[in-house]
Amino acid sequence: MTTAAETFSPQPTGHSRSRTLGVVKLQFMNTQTFVWVPVLVLGGAWLATLLIYWIISASGVEGPMFSGGSQAPLWYFAVVGAQAMNLTYYFSQAMSLTRREFYLGSLAAAAISALGISTVFVLLGLLERATDGYGINGYFAYLPWIWAEGPFAAGLTYFVLTMLTFILGFWFAIVNKRFGPLILTTVLISIALLLLGGAALVSLNSAWSDVWMWFVETQSLGLTLWALGVCAVLSIGSYLTLRRLTS
Amino acid sequence: MTSVIDVRDLTKTYKQTAALDHVSLSIEEGSIHGLLGRNGAGKTTLMSILTAQNFATSGVVEVFGEQPYENARVLNRMCFVRESQKYPDDANAKHALSTAPLFFPRWNQDLADQLISDFRLPMKTPIKKLSRGQQSAIGVIIGLASRAEITFFDEPYLGFDAVARQMFYDHLIADYAEHPRTIILSSHLINEVADLIENVIVIDQGRIIMDESTETARTRAVNVVGDADAIERLVADREVIHSESLGRVTSTTILGQLTDADREFISAANLDLTPVSLQQLIVRATQEGTSLNDTAVRSLQS
Repeated sequence: MTTAAETFSPQPTGHSRSRTLGVVKLQFMNTQTFVWVPVLVLGGAWLATLLIYWIISASGVEGPMFSGGSQAPLWYFAVVGAQAMNLTYYFSQAMSLTRREFYLGSLAAAAISALGISTVFVLLGLLERATDGYGINGYFAYLPWIWAEGPFAAGLTYFVLTMLTFILGFWFAIVNKRFGPLILTTVLISIALLLLGGAALVSLNSAWSDVWMWFVETQSLGLTLWALGVCAVLSIGSYLTLRRLTS
Repeated sequence: MTSVIDVRDLTKTYKQTAALDHVSLSIEEGSIHGLLGRNGAGKTTLMSILTAQNFATSGVVEVFGEQPYENARVLNRMCFVRESQKYPDDANAKHALSTAPLFFPRWNQDLADQLISDFRLPMKTPIKKLSRGQQSAIGVIIGLASRAEITFFDEPYLGFDAVARQMFYDHLIADYAEHPRTIILSSHLINEVADLIENVIVIDQGRIIMDESTETARTRAVNVVGDADAIERLVADREVIHSESLGRVTSTTILGQLTDADREFISAANLDLTPVSLQQLIVRATQEGTSLNDTAVRSLQS
């Protein structure tokens, strides 16, 4: 059997970086999930918002119009995160990938997708700024509070929030796979209770004005940096959960 | 002989049940091993742990001398083809088969193309809409074309008809002959793979009860064909694994080896010795409630 050993080519090493890039390609195999549905959600929200603005402006109302429609694709990224886990994890295991490679590659794929959608968001905002809200003073992407520090900061905010929802969806999907829906639901309820507890604490101390002041003072860019920190914590958490997931 | 897989005292428990019970095993490089056993015997669990897709409760697993968990160096030299592999939702066979070369350094595209045409695999239909057999073909193609140094096939042919199964066996043997590597094939169809496998590992209720060359395994029993009365005298107080009669002719498989006296008797009585069916031997070894007698169990474990 030593002949068998000799016919083996020099032992391949684990080119971990190219394998991680391979995961990006693997994730984009779900083109629908990663590209077309986010584009459709963004395009749909944009169209609906513009129609509403047009109806309002046709009825003679003046003054700038803002809406939260541009956050729709952002929430959809929680679904993208869950899908990135559900649809691809088992195949990644069949491709002999480590969980770490799968994890980093999936985050990279999400970052590419989020970068694309943030760019569209910034371009729309620039267009709105240049045309005074499509000539009817209606703004979908150009929201002054987010754009206070310029287009780059606005893009960064949008990007970070997109990543944040992606990682949340990703982590919840991992928790669901590893511990089952019962534990996932328990976790979600606990988080809701914790948030409510925090809100109650603020109310009891009559500190809401301080809280809002903090939000205003921290500004969009400051909040983005906070969100970045939350992203980091969540991604470490999701990695630790993924590390012991079986298939 | 170098061993590529070393398992020492491996135990895996799910709540109360032990899926693997103190398994120790060493697998040599460059041969085809049959991993045989009943449903739920622990075959998939063992292969999942060897490929770091599952975790041991206790014990040591070494592949290529290293532990495989989160170890890309070890993992990219292995390929594990599952019975029902899950694929990304939007994926078709083309996606899956163009992804695999990214991760298997010894991938051979010519072989993959040959297999795609032999199995008549539709490349553009979403995998979830393919028939069970076509889905299995994707796994088989990945397993063969990856030419991984260790390839695990876990019942890879679900939904295959007899023709497709034969095609799989033929390709496996042909490619293995040209590119020797370690192949671990888990199967229920013992008779079909009996001529394929060089080593047989039998696992029962989480324990390895047989681990030897197929040749040695076959010497654990003999099959005698001939006159029913003569055979009855020969068998006497031996353990019969299997027996079937047609008129005056009986074919009986008995456990243990023949003595010289037995051989004289066989030639005098004009009985024939025929090859033992591996399946009968294994069925006997893993039958519930009818454990082999003590000596037999000891000899099977030796």
